[in-house]
Amino acid sequence: MQKESRAYKELGVQRNLGLPKESYTLKESGLQKFGKIFKTFNRGGLLLFFFFFFLALFPSLFAPYSPSERFIPYEAPSEAHLLGTNDIGNDILSELVYGTRISLMVGFASACISTVIGLSIGLLAGYFRGWTAEVLMGFTDVVLLLPKLPLIIILGAFLRPSVWILILVLGLLSWESLARIVRAKTLQLRESGYVKSAQCIGFSSFHIMCTDIIPNLVHVILPKFMLATASAMISEASLSFLGLGDPSLKSWGIMLSFAFSRGGFIRDMWWWYLPPGLCITFCVLAVALLGFGFEPKTGVAKKEVVKLQ
Amino acid sequence: MNSLLDVKKLKVGFEGAKPVNVISEVSFSIQKGENLALVGESGCGKSIIAHAILRLLAPEARIEGSILFKGRELLKLSEKEMAKLRGNELAIIFQNASHALNPVYSIGRQLAEPLRIHQKSGKTDATKKVLKALAQLGFSSPEKYLKFYPSWGSGGMNQRFLIASSTILEPELLIADEPSKGLDPARIKEVERELWVLGKEAKSSLLLISHDLGFVRRLADKIAVLYSGEIVELAKTSVFFKQPRHPYSQGLLGSLPENGFVPIPGLAPALCESPSGCRFHPRCPFQKEKCLREHPELKAREERAVRCFLWA
Amino acid sequence: MISTAVKKTFRYLSSFALIVSLNFALPRLMPGDPVKNLIGEDVYVSDLVIEELRAELGLNRPLLEQFLAYIQALLRFDLGYSYHLHSPVAEVLQERIGWTLLFVGVSVGLGAGLGVFLGAYAGWKPETKLSRGLSCGFILLSCTPPYFLALLFLGIFAFKLGLFPFKGFYDTLTLGSIASHLFLPVSVLALFSASRNFLILRGSVIQEKEELYALYARAKGLYEREILFRHVVKNASLPIITLLALDFGFLFSGALFIEIVFSLNGMGTLIYDAIIGKDYPVLQGAFLLIALAVLIANILADFLYAVVDPRVRRPA
Repeated sequence: MQKESRAYKELGVQRNLGLPKESYTLKESGLQKFGKIFKTFNRGGLLLFFFFFFLALFPSLFAPYSPSERFIPYEAPSEAHLLGTNDIGNDILSELVYGTRISLMVGFASACISTVIGLSIGLLAGYFRGWTAEVLMGFTDVVLLLPKLPLIIILGAFLRPSVWILILVLGLLSWESLARIVRAKTLQLRESGYVKSAQCIGFSSFHIMCTDIIPNLVHVILPKFMLATASAMISEASLSFLGLGDPSLKSWGIMLSFAFSRGGFIRDMWWWYLPPGLCITFCVLAVALLGFGFEPKTGVAKKEVVKLQ
Repeated sequence: MNSLLDVKKLKVGFEGAKPVNVISEVSFSIQKGENLALVGESGCGKSIIAHAILRLLAPEARIEGSILFKGRELLKLSEKEMAKLRGNELAIIFQNASHALNPVYSIGRQLAEPLRIHQKSGKTDATKKVLKALAQLGFSSPEKYLKFYPSWGSGGMNQRFLIASSTILEPELLIADEPSKGLDPARIKEVERELWVLGKEAKSSLLLISHDLGFVRRLADKIAVLYSGEIVELAKTSVFFKQPRHPYSQGLLGSLPENGFVPIPGLAPALCESPSGCRFHPRCPFQKEKCLREHPELKAREERAVRCFLWA
Repeated sequence: MISTAVKKTFRYLSSFALIVSLNFALPRLMPGDPVKNLIGEDVYVSDLVIEELRAELGLNRPLLEQFLAYIQALLRFDLGYSYHLHSPVAEVLQERIGWTLLFVGVSVGLGAGLGVFLGAYAGWKPETKLSRGLSCGFILLSCTPPYFLALLFLGIFAFKLGLFPFKGFYDTLTLGSIASHLFLPVSVLALFSASRNFLILRGSVIQEKEELYALYARAKGLYEREILFRHVVKNASLPIITLLALDFGFLFSGALFIEIVFSLNGMGTLIYDAIIGKDYPVLQGAFLLIALAVLIANILADFLYAVVDPRVRRPA
């Protein structure tokens, strides 16, 4: 998306040179290529993500106890309980490990929903233009203006707290920015030669969208998907803090909320409130960094983080 | 030597995985009140020379040689000293005026800016001068344009705003980078008149960069023909147009509509891959075997310098 | 030009209509007895009173009639009655919104200033250690839930170090007392707002500094800092205006959480208490108010944009 630097364009010659750094590198072997792809991802982010991902997949390997097992409440960190115990005597480290799955699941599931909605709306608006586009994008703009979190709060208050409702609501309310980007990109793609020729041959619009347009949208969708995940995770943590989370599935947000409301904070039990907070932050960071890695250019990517929450 | 600008063996290259040289050993000088034109096809390095003189190239550019301006070595000045010269004694008119003007500031403000920074003029004083400059460039009611924005006007209008902004301090040397590009003939006449007036009244010198040979012929005292990053012919305008010596110069004149519109065969080489031997040999109708192997020197004789074995 | 203005107005109006209808529909659509949904749960009222209320609230009448009655009430600024707080919702909100607006306003202003200034620097010289450090810091910040940072600040600066009071807006109604109470919450929110502005501005300056007008500013004789702050920043910060408006909702929500942590008696604590007590009328009223505030912020941003960017108000 980044414009070719205009100052360089002026000096027509420099443009002919291209960026010397890139145009003069020798041909790379397969291994180097892989290394390069790897490099476009922030290595720290990648490691962090896989760390959390494994925690989520195999919590029993990492957690010393079952999260529901009870010990003496309010214990300080010791060898038996590396992060102490909470008000009802659960081992905090184990709770933390098992919470990973819930937080990541909420994030990814709601991102899936919002991606499907955003993709469909953006695609239709971009491909058909005219009135369809006006109506769809108008609707997108209108939804964009709704304050998300307050709306989620009010919905959460009316509905019984449940993780599925949370996922649904988060997913239903965070698709607008994806829809806009997909539409812009589709508008470009539909003018391209291969789409035009597919239209001439007589393929149906649906077929063209599936085979010619969507595959070319992947590099737009993937980073957005990761950012939607990150932002859903933050929202989940925030809602849990207000007591609107699902108390039967203990996510990091709920742990933090309990630490705040059940005396962990007042008693200055840092081992109770600090780890879940840090886990949220770093897990969100890992997901977001992964999203930047999917972006074609990292310089522009950083702007996207702003749309996180 | 009391040259205003003296460029000696200027070399410009760009760093990178494989460093490239784009300008090789260009030398020329401009006397006070003299107009020099740099001509050549686009992509031959004209603009790079202009930007190198003002030190406006990107940091990865490597500049060697010497650029003396009123006896001062520009390449050795600090950025701060350079800033004091720019816009004040040494000004440039960019091509693509619509992008060179800041879209969010009014014309009045942008034109007054050189006055404010170099002369610390007050607002009313500056406004008066801006109005005068606008009137000179043929704007009938200049007050209207004080609160005008670049995006509201046409490219030609912006070109004239830009000229006004660059010449408002009557610089001793004005570099005009394709000032006639994209203008209709009537506007070119106006620009030409303004540049001419500036030379006559303010005793400014002009370094004119253009591929519009007609425009150059009317304004310049001397012409330097640039090909693939080096000067191939340097001569007085009258002499040059009477009888160009270098095959490339001949080709350039031959491609003018009044001379039969005969294009030079082939394409100009990219700056990063100049041919061996004489750089013009692949397109030269008088190509000899020697031209493929040896690189000719710029040889001065009879009021002109030519880089060609035929001339030697 | 005119058609975009019409389009915009139409979109704002539809947004407004959507917000109002949502507010009307939610208590009636949600599972459970609409009377309960309208007056709030956990309030003890006898069955007789419930039936009386049902009649009074008009829940037996057709929906359209109910909607008209609802609109009429809105026009009278009647947002219902809170049985928890024993007072009309409009009054409760009126009491609280002032403080929250003060809190959010100050933070947004500070955050914008800080974010623009640091972001401009980081975009101008992205390779320096300071810029890299700032970018990392702000990225990390934008990945933190606001209330967690508020908790950390409260824990470190108020509990551990005892530098600041840890609850309320003031002890005595003096400027000094308010300032010392608001210092921590404002810092947290300002940092959040700054992190978003910072990242936008950084990217935008990186792009804008390559534009020809920046090079021409240099050719005019401007020096580094002057090019950045006089020419580049103004262009680069145009997107900030829209962002600030769209962000207003986010920051407002963030403010709610920070208020809860610092026990500030603004909208946040009101909403928190309302969630705990299932005080639906207050929740709905608060949602309506916040949504309107966001809408107004966006309309203002559109006007501001037209004033600042000459490309938008191009004369015929």
